[in-house]
Amino acid sequence: MDQGLIIKVDQVHVSFWQNNVGVYTLKDLITQRKRPFKSKTILNNISVEVRRGESLGIVGRNGSGKSTLLRTIAGIIKPDGGKVTVNGTFAPILAIGAGLESELTGYENIKLLLALYGTARKNANAIDNIREFSELSDEVLRSPVKQYSSGMVARLAFSISLANDSDILIIDEVMAVGDQGFQSKCKEKIYQMKNQGKTILFVSHFPEDVAKICNKAILLEKGEVIHAGDSQEICSKYNQLF
Amino acid sequence: MQSINKIHKVQNITRIYALSRRNVILRYKNSLIGFFWGFIKPLLYLLIFIVIFSDNSGIANYPLFVTSGLILWFFFSNATSQSVGSVVSSAGLIKSLNIPSYYFPLSEILSELFNLLLTLAVFLVIMQWFGIVNSAKMLLIVPCIILFTVFSLGLSLFLCSINVFFKDIGIIWGTIQPALFFLTPIAYPENQIRRYKAIVEYNPIYYFLKLGRSIFYDPAAPPVHAWVNCLIIAVSMYALGHFVFYRLKNQFISAI
Repeated sequence: MDQGLIIKVDQVHVSFWQNNVGVYTLKDLITQRKRPFKSKTILNNISVEVRRGESLGIVGRNGSGKSTLLRTIAGIIKPDGGKVTVNGTFAPILAIGAGLESELTGYENIKLLLALYGTARKNANAIDNIREFSELSDEVLRSPVKQYSSGMVARLAFSISLANDSDILIIDEVMAVGDQGFQSKCKEKIYQMKNQGKTILFVSHFPEDVAKICNKAILLEKGEVIHAGDSQEICSKYNQLF
Repeated sequence: MQSINKIHKVQNITRIYALSRRNVILRYKNSLIGFFWGFIKPLLYLLIFIVIFSDNSGIANYPLFVTSGLILWFFFSNATSQSVGSVVSSAGLIKSLNIPSYYFPLSEILSELFNLLLTLAVFLVIMQWFGIVNSAKMLLIVPCIILFTVFSLGLSLFLCSINVFFKDIGIIWGTIQPALFFLTPIAYPENQIRRYKAIVEYNPIYYFLKLGRSIFYDPAAPPVHAWVNCLIIAVSMYALGHFVFYRLKNQFISAI
């Protein structure tokens, strides 16, 4: 692999089993006599290359495969065909709080996710950094996440994913919630990380953000890359979709 | 390269530990007496059985006869019912982190194993009162528990992976359990069932409970063939669970 490349997605194909209409229980399986699953293509023949320090925007309609692509790159989904090569480490993808345990407190969630991500030992003051960045008070972090507002959940989730000193930052719609103050703080942090030479994968439904943050972008439609290139250009193509 | 592998191993152990710890915290969150619930259930059943059966069971030292079976049964029952839904309930983590989904049922079993050790410690004291004969033979409970854990893990892998696609597996398993409990000779001697003897003979769980009982109750150590039977059952159950789980695991993410 070329030295400068950090992510290379080569003709990747991902398909999922999709539940056939109405077969969710064993009773349905017996009474309806249908095949329970059929294969559905989510990503079709996708090739993307990202160089170290680049930031790639991914835009597309709902259900076009953006999150699946991110998860495939992060190794969470194994592709059926093609190959994903990555030369770096990832921060966890905490798309709007998925992955936070609602019954656990903020602190318990932080510790769990840091341990699961393997940063607990490396970075002793990770918890302080998270508290500082999220601007959540000690009292809030001591209460269970189920009592948080969606903005607070987003703050916590984004702060945890930043706490990992990883080469590649994956941002999936985190900025849709969260108040103005936190949004601009996030953007600032993203620019800062970009200047540090981190690689960023950015999914957003706000083309202006993509155009500002990313230098390259791809436009996904029905699991295929229909346009790839300069982020400004791709964003105007995205706007033309609607 | 070897040092990298080693770090990975340490990290994986940390991850499994963190998940198991989460399970223990979640289980007893918002409950007043926390882990004490873990041994109150077998204790309650023990009292009920003593009330009903001890007068005419014809079994010497009836309380000691039932105790080990009850402890092991509740370990099995809790471990499997906790892990049936473990993959589905961890959907958020599975979708956001690259960690093997195998860790979720495994961590449920491990947190239940931790519970079993605490319960066993409490019951060892109670069993003194029942007049258990203390000897080095009691240490055999360790390999017995290991075999039973492997069996429970195998069954859990099987159940939780199918439960991802058919949510009624969890409900069915919850329904079958009481039936299994009464069909397994825990509170009564196995020769109580004569006409339908096959039910006892083909009940895999009973082999483990019988092994446990012979360690705590019988005067002699369990015979070699009892260990061999348990080993065969545990390994085959694990192999089946492992096979099914690994066949299905790549599709989990689309179904949860």
